[in-house]
Amino acid sequence: MAKVSPFLDPGVHTAQNGLAIVHLSRDNLEPVILNGEVGAADGYAEGRVINTRFGSFPHSTLIDQPWGSQIRASVVDTGTRGRKRKPDEEETAGVGSAAATPKNVKTATSGFVHVLPPTPELWTTSLPHRTQVVYTPDYSYILHRIRARPGTRIIEAGAGSGSFTHASARAVYNGYFSDSNGHMAKESSTGKVFSYEFNEDRFHKMQQEVEDHGLSGVVEVTHRDVYNDGFFVNGQSPDVDCVFLDLPAPWKALPHLSRGPRSPLRKDRSVHLCTFSPCIEQVTQTVEVMRRLGWMDIEMVEVSHKRISVLRERVGLNMPTERGSNQSAYDVAEAVQRLREVEGRFKEFHGRSLKMDVVDDVDMEEEGDANVTENGVNGSNAEGTTKPPFMLGRLIHRTEPEIKTHTSYLVFAILPQEWTEEQEAAAFEKWPCGNENKVIGSIGKEARKQEKREMLQGKKKKRTKDDNEGASAGRDAKKPKLEDP
Amino acid sequence: MHSLIQPNAWVAIKLPSGDLKVLQVTPNTTISLGKYGSFPSNLIIHRPYHLTYELEDRREPEIFNRLRIVPASELYSDIIPAESSTSSDAATPVPEEDAGTVIPTGVEYSLVDPDSGVVLAKTNRAELDASARQKLSMDEIEALKKDATGAGKDLIAKLMLSHTALDQKTEYSLAKYKLLKTKKYIRRFSVLPMDVPLLDHFLLEEKDPLKILDMRDEMIALLGCWANVHYGGRHRCEKEVSHVDDAQIAEDSEPGTGRWLVLDDTGGLLVAAMAERMGILYPSDNGESLQKYLGSQQPATRPKASVTDGGAGKQDASSNPSASAAKRESPGKLESLPDRIATKANADTDMKLASNPSLPEAESASLVKQESTSNAAAFSAKTDTAVCQSSEGKPKRHPDGRHRGDDMKVPYADSNTLTLIHANSQPNLTYLRYYDFDIASPTQTVAHPLATNLMTLSWLQLLDPSADTTYSAEPAVVDAEELKTWKPNRRGNYHRKRRRWARIRHIVDTTKKGGFSGLVVASTMDPVSILRHAIPLLAGGAPIAIYSQSIEPLTALVDSYSIGRRAAWISNPPEEAEGKTPEELEQWAGTEEFPLNPTLLLGAAVQTSRVRKWQVLPGRTHPLMTSKGGSEGYIFTAWRVRPAEGKVEARGKGKQRKRKADEQVS
Repeated sequence: MAKVSPFLDPGVHTAQNGLAIVHLSRDNLEPVILNGEVGAADGYAEGRVINTRFGSFPHSTLIDQPWGSQIRASVVDTGTRGRKRKPDEEETAGVGSAAATPKNVKTATSGFVHVLPPTPELWTTSLPHRTQVVYTPDYSYILHRIRARPGTRIIEAGAGSGSFTHASARAVYNGYFSDSNGHMAKESSTGKVFSYEFNEDRFHKMQQEVEDHGLSGVVEVTHRDVYNDGFFVNGQSPDVDCVFLDLPAPWKALPHLSRGPRSPLRKDRSVHLCTFSPCIEQVTQTVEVMRRLGWMDIEMVEVSHKRISVLRERVGLNMPTERGSNQSAYDVAEAVQRLREVEGRFKEFHGRSLKMDVVDDVDMEEEGDANVTENGVNGSNAEGTTKPPFMLGRLIHRTEPEIKTHTSYLVFAILPQEWTEEQEAAAFEKWPCGNENKVIGSIGKEARKQEKREMLQGKKKKRTKDDNEGASAGRDAKKPKLEDP
Repeated sequence: MHSLIQPNAWVAIKLPSGDLKVLQVTPNTTISLGKYGSFPSNLIIHRPYHLTYELEDRREPEIFNRLRIVPASELYSDIIPAESSTSSDAATPVPEEDAGTVIPTGVEYSLVDPDSGVVLAKTNRAELDASARQKLSMDEIEALKKDATGAGKDLIAKLMLSHTALDQKTEYSLAKYKLLKTKKYIRRFSVLPMDVPLLDHFLLEEKDPLKILDMRDEMIALLGCWANVHYGGRHRCEKEVSHVDDAQIAEDSEPGTGRWLVLDDTGGLLVAAMAERMGILYPSDNGESLQKYLGSQQPATRPKASVTDGGAGKQDASSNPSASAAKRESPGKLESLPDRIATKANADTDMKLASNPSLPEAESASLVKQESTSNAAAFSAKTDTAVCQSSEGKPKRHPDGRHRGDDMKVPYADSNTLTLIHANSQPNLTYLRYYDFDIASPTQTVAHPLATNLMTLSWLQLLDPSADTTYSAEPAVVDAEELKTWKPNRRGNYHRKRRRWARIRHIVDTTKKGGFSGLVVASTMDPVSILRHAIPLLAGGAPIAIYSQSIEPLTALVDSYSIGRRAAWISNPPEEAEGKTPEELEQWAGTEEFPLNPTLLLGAAVQTSRVRKWQVLPGRTHPLMTSKGGSEGYIFTAWRVRPAEGKVEARGKGKQRKRKADEQVS
């Protein structure tokens, strides 16, 4: 394996033919395989171009940039290419080869994007949907629970859109062992994802994707109906540590995942399994079959995930008239003041006839003035004169407008390794019982006290012994502990 | 990892009540499970994890209880027959059929009325005195417990038989009653490996969840994913070990790959979780090949032992006294791996001796000694090889695996590392002891992958290293001749100080160079202040994931990257930022209006996640009735980006103000 996948080690810069994620907004990401070849492509003189609502970005401007760079849009003629190409194809091509070097691409006055290194999380939000996607909150928890760690081998049945494939590849990756000292390394010590897909079209797409993303050393995609044909790859057991089944009927695949002579599971340890099914009926059936097949610690959970939006709640009569601000009273005082103003105006309008109330009116106005100043200090709005608009109002948070209330039920289970009478006898031979000298675990209060007493006694004895033997050894033993950390 | 239970491994024993008992499986001890009984630890050593064991009745001459593996069919015997009946006829449970099948075979429960239609009706009407239901008195139960046989099954059966209202129970309440009694009396357990999910569960449910900031599994998992923490590439072997030398640090500008920055106020849980994701939590050869290695040693006779001494252990064989001195040097520390192997080897040889009494006493003693030292040395050499191939065959090696040649050699890897910044003068990594790692114990370095791949420094050492004495005050170099005249004690101290200085020098200098692949935080400190200093250390495009118990610190953080603020920074930059280069702006000190430079982060967002557990039983599937509350836990995520130089104008459709909003929404 010459090149490490950009998912596993993106390097410092974006590179030719490497995958990059172009970040337009949080939910609008565009995965691009960068190709900065000079010369016309798709009718663009600049070579390949990404067109977004924030401007056009020729690939050449995105290559050899440090990851995370903000890239300005370029001036690209997007309008004329379609029209021109048809009548006069040669001319366009001629123009392209003559004029299009990356150097003379002009920077536009506005518009930008950021270019990010690919991660399974970014890929999950940007990938082309082929089936229901396993999202980050689910796959992160699943991989954590089924103990997918560097160096483990995992079965993923139902590759689907490939989000779980990428996440699990990252989890189990522990280096490629196929080059320099590769043949020395034992096959089974390298982390690997065994991915199975029933749908032929999706299988081919998946294979292409794995190739493009440089993951072929970590992921092995197989076109297979696992219900009937099991999990062997090229006639060999994949020897896996953990299993993830995203299938409509996981119970049909489970019989292929049992211990025995033709087992795809690793023989010398417990195997962790997770199934992913949206319906409760699927779960009950799966769990029933699991119990029959001897799976332990069966547990079903669901993950509820929420994204939270943080915003400023701007309430007040004097708030700037902006989107998101609420032009109603901030508090009772402000409401009363507004009412007094209204009342005052009302009286002024009708008051000319009612001269009796003049005195009262004056009083009211004075009171009102007092309120204004008070409000100016306490209220939210008076600070507006000094505070910039983005600091006005109260900072609040709420769940985002749309939440995924249900993705799927996750069933976890563990299949311990087989343990034969002979193995047990051998272990008993090696670790004979009957000469226990100490009790550990939950011991009674009396026993614990006795133990403590003995320990203290022993320490005292040791100290006196040390003193007798010679001071240097004792001091030697204590000093490093104090000083080195 | 975790193939068989190794001697001295940390494990959790799961009791029928659901409680976990965490302990280290010391050979030749008795493990007590409290009321469930006790058994010899040797009975679970080199046995598989996750199996359910049952304490058998004592066989006559033996003084201990043997264990029996309970097959799955027996464990699920109560559930499976019921399941088959429900699956055969739809969802509605048919009581007539079930009542008979709920009861396990083998124990007679003739008290239960087979015609449970009647029973069902009775339960609703009957008003029974709760205390009068159980006919057995407390004393009788105690007596039964004492001489109960069949791992508590007899006791449970008797309890149920003497329950007066058993026939008035519905099938479900009967099942529940049996489950309750089973949990209380059945003498079964299973052994689980002490990995991060289990440690987290143990700390959350049984220890103090506050100490780990109430961080649940799903949060740890999300943190690791969003910070993109994974195996970060191989150690550069040609260079072997970095050498602290100012000139070299300057020249060697290219940092290694896969370095993560971590802030951990959870006592080491977060570090353990991230280390697990990077493959550096468990000692490299996970006991399996170790076991093989020890296995190969087993039949060893004297000539073979001396052959193994030939390689790494050569000078050890001649300096056995020094090895034992090294052992004496570190009392009270956690038993380090090589030590353990040594003791294990001792045990092995002891056994061998027992079986071979013809061996002369003196010879056998020396055999024990030789074998233990060669084992320890060979093991440390082997782990070295796993970290970096070239360390094998170094001319001068000490039995505990440390370099004695050059104090300025730093043992740290340059790839796939974690750098921990801590707020106190010493890091708190208590929970790493479950993985046999103690950062304060210098003697076990090299044996554990964390010793080479985890670096720790304090905020003071990072931000103002000259104020830190450990960093700034270089211990004066003493030439070799003079050193020879010193007492060994003083000489040891001198070397220790030199080495410590070299280590901290290396850590601080490499950290300050930056270029980290990501940042993971679970801290009680203000995240704004953390990011102010941590962001400049991150490489472009590096992800950031911050865990907080409560949402307020994170909303404040998101607000400092709000759309309005970013737009204001670009269109109308603050006075303090005028005329500064982008590099200077990365070190933005923070003002009231702009606590952080808002252009350095992209996609600031907050999320939360919670896992809800369900009970799946035939006809009784529903979410659990209760679960743990406490702090909800939130995660902040973002990416470190590099703003373009000069003024950047946003674009989008709509009006000017809205355009900016569109563009910057992230």
